[in-house]
Amino acid sequence: MTAVAPPVGRSRTERLDLIWEERPGLLGWLTTVDHKRIGLLYFFTTLAFFGAGGIEALLIRTQLAGPNATVLSPEAFNEVMTMHGITMIFLFIIPMTTGAFGNYLLPLMIGARDMAFPRLNALSFWLFLGGGLFLYGGLLLGKGPNCGWFCYTPLNTRTYDPGLNADFYALGLIFNSVASTATAINLIVTSFKLRAPGMSFNRMPLFVFAMLAVSFSLVFALPALTTDLVFLELQRKLGFHFFDVAHGGDSLLWQHLFWLFGHPEVYIIILPAMGIATSIIPTFAKRKMIAFPLVALAELLVAFIGFGVWGHHMFATGLSVSTLVFFAAASMMVVIPSTIQIYAWLFTVNLGRPEFRAPLLFIGGFIALFVIGGLSGIMFAAIPFDQATTDTYFVVAHFHFIIFGAAVFPILGGMFYWFPKVTGRMYNERLAQASFWVTFAGTMLTFFPMHIVGLLGMTRRIYTYHSGFGWDSYNLAETIGAYVLTLGLLMIFANLLWSRFRGVLAGPDPFYGGTLEWTTTSPPPPYNFAVIPTVTSPYPNWDRDDSDGLPLDHGHETQATTVRDGYFDEVLHMPSESGWPIVLGAVAVVFFVMLLTTHYIVAGIFAAVAALTVIAWNVHEPPQE
Amino acid sequence: MSSVPYVQRSAKPNGWWGMVIFVATEATLFATLIGSYYDLRFRTPHWPPPGVPDPKVAVPLILLAVLVSSSIPVQLASRSARAGRTVPTQLALLVALILQSGYLAMQIHLFVDDLHKFSPQGSAYGSIYFTMVGAHHAHVFVGILLELWFFLRLFGGNTVYRAVGIHATAFYWHAVNVLAIAVTIVQLSPSL
Repeated sequence: MTAVAPPVGRSRTERLDLIWEERPGLLGWLTTVDHKRIGLLYFFTTLAFFGAGGIEALLIRTQLAGPNATVLSPEAFNEVMTMHGITMIFLFIIPMTTGAFGNYLLPLMIGARDMAFPRLNALSFWLFLGGGLFLYGGLLLGKGPNCGWFCYTPLNTRTYDPGLNADFYALGLIFNSVASTATAINLIVTSFKLRAPGMSFNRMPLFVFAMLAVSFSLVFALPALTTDLVFLELQRKLGFHFFDVAHGGDSLLWQHLFWLFGHPEVYIIILPAMGIATSIIPTFAKRKMIAFPLVALAELLVAFIGFGVWGHHMFATGLSVSTLVFFAAASMMVVIPSTIQIYAWLFTVNLGRPEFRAPLLFIGGFIALFVIGGLSGIMFAAIPFDQATTDTYFVVAHFHFIIFGAAVFPILGGMFYWFPKVTGRMYNERLAQASFWVTFAGTMLTFFPMHIVGLLGMTRRIYTYHSGFGWDSYNLAETIGAYVLTLGLLMIFANLLWSRFRGVLAGPDPFYGGTLEWTTTSPPPPYNFAVIPTVTSPYPNWDRDDSDGLPLDHGHETQATTVRDGYFDEVLHMPSESGWPIVLGAVAVVFFVMLLTTHYIVAGIFAAVAALTVIAWNVHEPPQE
Repeated sequence: MSSVPYVQRSAKPNGWWGMVIFVATEATLFATLIGSYYDLRFRTPHWPPPGVPDPKVAVPLILLAVLVSSSIPVQLASRSARAGRTVPTQLALLVALILQSGYLAMQIHLFVDDLHKFSPQGSAYGSIYFTMVGAHHAHVFVGILLELWFFLRLFGGNTVYRAVGIHATAFYWHAVNVLAIAVTIVQLSPSL
């Protein structure tokens, strides 16, 4: 991007190209501030971490496929299990949704040419990459975090974790928080300040509302994690006493601060998924989202209530009953905005003319898995049930339905949906639909038996188990499921990789989407929009002709004008297809044949039939204004 | 650089908004520190623990008054910068810098003095006391650096870009001063 004056005598797009184009080649990628290139950097980096986290998941499942397996040592299992959790949450889902989808799509959806703070945006990415490599450096040195993703004290203290493992955890996550906070600030200011003229809050796409809710959650949730991690490092490195009871510390303080971050975190994971769902559903249902303002408010409300429910992760820690009841009630409350959204999605599909292409299939899978995970979630809000199932595989089943089912399925659907926009080419529809079914079946087979095995008493985070508890066959099924799931994911990425080079050219708007990103070319030029659009509706691509022409899209309509001057006079409701003209024509033929052959009575009958036909013709009048 | 003069913009500039959201996350950080302070306090029978003196009241309150009063020159600097008056901006920044640097110097002296009396390694009280107070001093230090930067930049004249920076820095300082009131009250609370 150079601040040169536009050369005179060139077309507008040529001038914009010269102004906005970045350096070519590797140096261009290293110095880029273009939100789309930063989005792609985030995309490929998080995808690499997703691969690493996936391999860790397969290692875990292979170790747990049968009793007394020795694929991983107990120490290695702890590290792999911890890194699987940290990777999927901090290095895959959050940066994939905010960094990749948010960065790439949000400026396009609001009609801007970049994020509000482009260099801060680039910094976020490099910090995120650094933090991720830092965490994986620990793993490669054999000093990876090994205390579980929530790393409870006293397991995280020097006494029980004398190596650098928990230090990699604490410092790596502080690193990561800084990057996420910078992205969140950028997304908020961009959606507050850089919207195209005419895009008032009520015309902002629901995806942007979701990104706004996520960003505010990050801004207010991450400090709790940072404080917690700083306390931990001060205790580990300098001998402070925040968590050890012997010196007046409080071991539950770790958990309070962690879950004060950790529960909003759950909604940070799920809200972008909701935003992606509200983008895909209207396009394929060919209908605007119903209850648009309610859905927007529900997205914000989910984020808000998310801050009042952290105690439900601590029902088994001996908090007072009144505290537990408060958190149980607050947890029940989250159901309301979530359900508003689920019904809005379902009714939008139901009232539209849905076309079940791959992106919508993934959203369908998302809704199904979200409902299952949500139902087990409501069960945890019941304190006695939670106390009975705490730290069993039932919990693991629940949060994998939410995190993999509800958060990752829309990400996969979104990859297909925006693939033509980003690459300019279409993916293979048939393979995409097949990969959905394989992934869905794999997900159910992997995670559903975990409910049962959890109720049978299998606890979380164990590296192996003995046979004879009735767990063996379920665990084997889960492991088979994990490999089926991997196959499904490989099919998806093979499809996208092949289509990137060989796919059919997509054109700017292959799905006829409603939001602004579909109004520019695929892939978008460096300046996004040659002319900044003026927005008059939440679906500007569908409504964009309202202002300067006559859309006449409420029925079979055309215009009538005044005779001499051609001024607009009225809307004419034109008739639709009809069988009466051909019937009347046929009757008339018979009538004349009868006249010819002097069968006057039959001719009279057919004259009557013709009269009836004319009556039937005129029964349906055009609708009134 | 925008060709539209600063004063004619009807919404606040992006830089100011970025600072507001940043301050929101920093204020949350202090909220969690203060929350942790009381979490630890209400689990401990003796607060501060035996052998640790009660915090002094008078000197921190006087220092707090000095720091909070620096909001006035900071605001004056912000207004003059937006009006395009370079020298008055610099003078106001200089007054603020003197007040804030004096405050920070005194506070560092008190901090070291406290370290001689009790240590963060001795008890949870010491841990949270030094962490919270230290976090606040770090914010004051960052604010001083921001102001010093703009004070020096203004020798090259005022620009829209710099005026936005000073506007945002002024917001930061008002927020730090409000946090100072909260942190000081918490810090003194055992003696009140």
